[in-house]
Amino acid sequence: MQRARVTFEPTQALWRVRLQLLWRGLKSTWAMFAESKIGLTGLGIIIFFILLWMLWPIYPWLMERLAWTPEELEAARNAPYGAISSIYQVYDPVTGYDPLIPLEENREGNILPPSRRHPLGTDQYGRDILAQLMASTGSEFTLGVLAALITVFIGTCIGAITAYYGGFVDTFFMRLADVFILFPLVSFLIVLGSMMELTLLKLALILGILFGFGQITIILKSQALAIKVKPYIEAAKVAGGGHFHVIFRHIIPNMLPLSFLYMMFNVTSAIFSEAALSFFGLLPGARTTWGIMIDSAHSGGYILGGRSFEYWWLWVPPGVAITLLCSAFYLVGRGLDEVVNPRLRKR
Amino acid sequence: MARIWQVLTSGMSKYIIVRLLQIVLVLYLYMTLVFIILEAQPGDITDIYVGNPKITPEAREAIIKQLGLDKPLHERYLNYLKNFVTGHLGCSFKWGNIREVPDPVCREQRPTWDLIKERLPRTVLLFLTYTIISFYIGFFLGKLIAWRRGAIIEYFSTVVGVVLFTVFTPWFALLLVWIFAVNLGIVPIGGFINPDNWRVVERVGTVSRDMGVSLSNVVFNYILMWLGGLTLVWGVIYLVSQRFPYAWQRRVARWGSVCIGLLAMGAFFGGAWPGSADQAVIASETRFNFFLWQLEFPAGTIPLFPLALDFVQHMILPILTLTLISFAGTMLLMRNTMLETMREDYVMAAKAKGLPDQVVRDKHAARNALLPVVTSLIFAIAFSVDGGVFTETIFSWPGMGKLLLESAIEQDYPVAIGTLVFTGIFALVAHLIADILYAFLDPRIRYD
Amino acid sequence: MTTSTSYPVLQVEHLTMHYTTRKGVVKAVEDVSFSLNKGEALGLVGESGCGKTSVALTILRLLPENAQFLGGHVYFFRDGSDEAHVRRALGKPVKILLNGREHQGRLLEVNRAQLVLETQLNGRSQQIKLGRSDITHLGVDLTALSDEEMRPIRWKGISMIFQAAMNSLNPVYKVGDQLIEAIQTHMPLSLPEARERVAQLFQLVGLDRQLMDRYPHEYSGGMKQRAVIAMALACDPDIIIADEPTTALDVIVQDKILREMRQIQKKLNMSMIYISHDIAVIAEVADRVGVMYAGSLVEFGPSEPIFKSPIHPYTKALMSAFPSIKGEKVKLTALPGEPPDLIKPPSGCRFHPRCPYATEICEREVPQFIEHKPNQYAACWNPLT
Repeated sequence: MQRARVTFEPTQALWRVRLQLLWRGLKSTWAMFAESKIGLTGLGIIIFFILLWMLWPIYPWLMERLAWTPEELEAARNAPYGAISSIYQVYDPVTGYDPLIPLEENREGNILPPSRRHPLGTDQYGRDILAQLMASTGSEFTLGVLAALITVFIGTCIGAITAYYGGFVDTFFMRLADVFILFPLVSFLIVLGSMMELTLLKLALILGILFGFGQITIILKSQALAIKVKPYIEAAKVAGGGHFHVIFRHIIPNMLPLSFLYMMFNVTSAIFSEAALSFFGLLPGARTTWGIMIDSAHSGGYILGGRSFEYWWLWVPPGVAITLLCSAFYLVGRGLDEVVNPRLRKR
Repeated sequence: MARIWQVLTSGMSKYIIVRLLQIVLVLYLYMTLVFIILEAQPGDITDIYVGNPKITPEAREAIIKQLGLDKPLHERYLNYLKNFVTGHLGCSFKWGNIREVPDPVCREQRPTWDLIKERLPRTVLLFLTYTIISFYIGFFLGKLIAWRRGAIIEYFSTVVGVVLFTVFTPWFALLLVWIFAVNLGIVPIGGFINPDNWRVVERVGTVSRDMGVSLSNVVFNYILMWLGGLTLVWGVIYLVSQRFPYAWQRRVARWGSVCIGLLAMGAFFGGAWPGSADQAVIASETRFNFFLWQLEFPAGTIPLFPLALDFVQHMILPILTLTLISFAGTMLLMRNTMLETMREDYVMAAKAKGLPDQVVRDKHAARNALLPVVTSLIFAIAFSVDGGVFTETIFSWPGMGKLLLESAIEQDYPVAIGTLVFTGIFALVAHLIADILYAFLDPRIRYD
Repeated sequence: MTTSTSYPVLQVEHLTMHYTTRKGVVKAVEDVSFSLNKGEALGLVGESGCGKTSVALTILRLLPENAQFLGGHVYFFRDGSDEAHVRRALGKPVKILLNGREHQGRLLEVNRAQLVLETQLNGRSQQIKLGRSDITHLGVDLTALSDEEMRPIRWKGISMIFQAAMNSLNPVYKVGDQLIEAIQTHMPLSLPEARERVAQLFQLVGLDRQLMDRYPHEYSGGMKQRAVIAMALACDPDIIIADEPTTALDVIVQDKILREMRQIQKKLNMSMIYISHDIAVIAEVADRVGVMYAGSLVEFGPSEPIFKSPIHPYTKALMSAFPSIKGEKVKLTALPGEPPDLIKPPSGCRFHPRCPYATEICEREVPQFIEHKPNQYAACWNPLT
């Protein structure tokens, strides 16, 4: 009833109708999504990491107010070696150090267990673990989402075009997809990383392209094929819509829910690949990432060297962070799956 | 026999031939793609290969000439393809020659192909073992979880499954090493063999330097061959037993074949394997004593069983890690598809036929739910071949993945690129095999 | 009810079953009773979603997880000399036919010479002893059996042709093997013997024996239907329940298959329950007819009198909604209204909102299911004469 009223009211601009329809669609999607506990859990974790990312710029400021006593601040400012002028120097993820740590010969002296000033402790260079963790969150997010966007953009376009035209175009892209499915991605990135300097942007681009032409094209193509035979596509053609119009105005918008779903799974893969590369030290640059944090703990011998759970704060937090963020996007994907895929819905 | 032939000449052989042609095309595309992406890098390509600033201009010119980097692009491309067809993958920058008679081209350096030949079987064994184990566990658990639906078990399995499915592999591997090797000390921390166990071998056996392989490789390749033989025997017996008139006869045949396999294992370690004395290449005077299960040399004897056990010990932890990481995905997917199949009419019909519950579950519901799971496994093969890099590196298992990472980090480009292409070929072949297995599982595919 | 020539093979008494769904409890089967005699074809007819299939599934105990069995008995009769059947009945509610008399109770003891039965008489329980040799037929309550005890009855005792025949063949196995599987589960036959049996069954239903080594997707719709019928016949069952056996087929094939099924049934002297929404199909094949509406049986009796002079208004409405090829010209009328929501069924007689003859009592009270004419039962306050 509602829908009919909106569509036939001539006074409303087309974009407003579209917007209303979109809003209504989003609302019903959300209602279905909210039923899935799995999806909500994932969303919760993502929001948690976004908060972490947002908090990063004010983290040192907060610590100065909450954790440092005036005496400690004073002592840090007048430390005999490495006196700081601003609290930000303490919490820098790359060059930070705590001037209150007594200078010792061995590096173990720099490692502080979780304490008031350093909620997750410090690493062997005296850097705050939580600061490193927070500082990396943003880049992990950017990379994951950017790569997934590129992937889904390519996958959706190629999927729609191959489904629409068929024939040679279809054969070509499907064989190409075969290649990309079989592509040993991590191995390739390792070799590539050793040959050129992979910046975050380049990595996102490469990941996006390599994923985009692969499995997702095949999945989205089958979806597009299902849409292609729907009556409204025929209607659009009869109404005189060109190929371009039909593909971009009618087929692709109807593929978007599924595309969005696969985007979630691709974020997981992208973050995972990035973490793996940085773990192997193939992502240079003056940054910290979760992978690098695990690697430096590992190569420093703090994981396998200790006989007990000594130094756990060096490697447990980044590992948990990667796992949590990857699983969060995966969980959201599963939750969306229940919305998009009617067979999985609970009766 | 006639039946098998009939199966092969029906839609199946056509399917395999088409698949083979496709795979050749895909292989060609893959190699071209690797070439293009590696070539398309900014800057002078020669800088990458001879980027060491300490090299003198003359030496640099010589290396460029030797690597063929001065030639035009299309010639380099043809050269690249030709090398892979002929198996000349260049010489390692890093690895020195270990043969008595050096390679005519590489002279003091070790040929890449030699390295790959040595490493590939190790990766294949690791990959096959964990793929089969994790697939079976995932299949089995997913089946059970779907069959006995319960809120707690479902929730628990989903949570554990998702965590294991998305856990950061290297980190998880380190965690397991820390638990099982460092703290509990029940398995070695890593590596391929424990040199202490092999010292006795080095004393008694003169390892043939001519083959460019050490004794451990010989023994290792034996185990692989034996496993392959066992699988083949079992597969043939399984196919033949399919036609036995009574269910109990089929069961006896299957279990019997396992026993035969175990006997064959005994025979192998006893050296009764045909032609084993030739393949041993240890020394011409080697003799297999198949009562005592040992290699006999003029200077002494080598019992084989402890050596095989040495490999197994070193494989436990990597396989455990890989299994834990990869069974979860299969389990979750199996559960979902099983829940869907259980609603199918033929499952209801099977129940109505009065078949035992277990038969309904395994033969009808699970068998059909398996199909999409295998499809996803086929899609994931490249990923799991790839995952070898992490595990092999962390457990120092000297396979393709570790070779790739080391040569990439140490800028040993001929080896790195050769390994990369071979990793791709490995994934391709695994994909092909899985594809053919799938066609055996789903009769509808064969007649398309 | 029993005569010397015809004896019951199945008696369904007061069957009630509900489904629990998210929207509420669906009262799918309410107090359904009927009996099926040896060699007889019984038709169950009614609109889609009236609980016909649920009755069949309840009899075979194939209900989904969300189904709740709430009461009733399903007595499945076998010859009194069937040792396995008598053993199975031990400790269960049974019905025993003895010299034309019916005894009902719980079977307490079985030995070579006699059975000990616990019966309720005037509110007191008493034990009676029955000689083995006198017992002609023994019916065991299927609802009291465990799953494992139920297994031999499935397919050997009662087999079923499922609604969508296309989907009841497993796509990954050869059709012949799916029959062999059923045969080998219930009969001590070797593989070659079972294959020979399948070949005979294929011949019986008009399929080429070569087809047994083909996969379901190589069959046409009609062929699949025949294969499913052959499968239902595989173990020589006492009863076959055919749930919409021909609905998915085109009319000509439908007619042919129905006629063949009828022939096979007569030839093997089998008891069958046909379930269909199509009254024309039921009229063609059934000896007796049960008409179902909204989960309960509204009319039951021999097919000829029912179709000639129905008692219940629903039966009449159902008949006038379908064209008849053979009968005289009648005006087709559509039944007004929609089938009732089984979550909140109408009070009293469930048909009253759509009934042209409804009176005030129909709304208040559920009508009794009683014999209005000889052998013709109906549940209606205002029976048509």
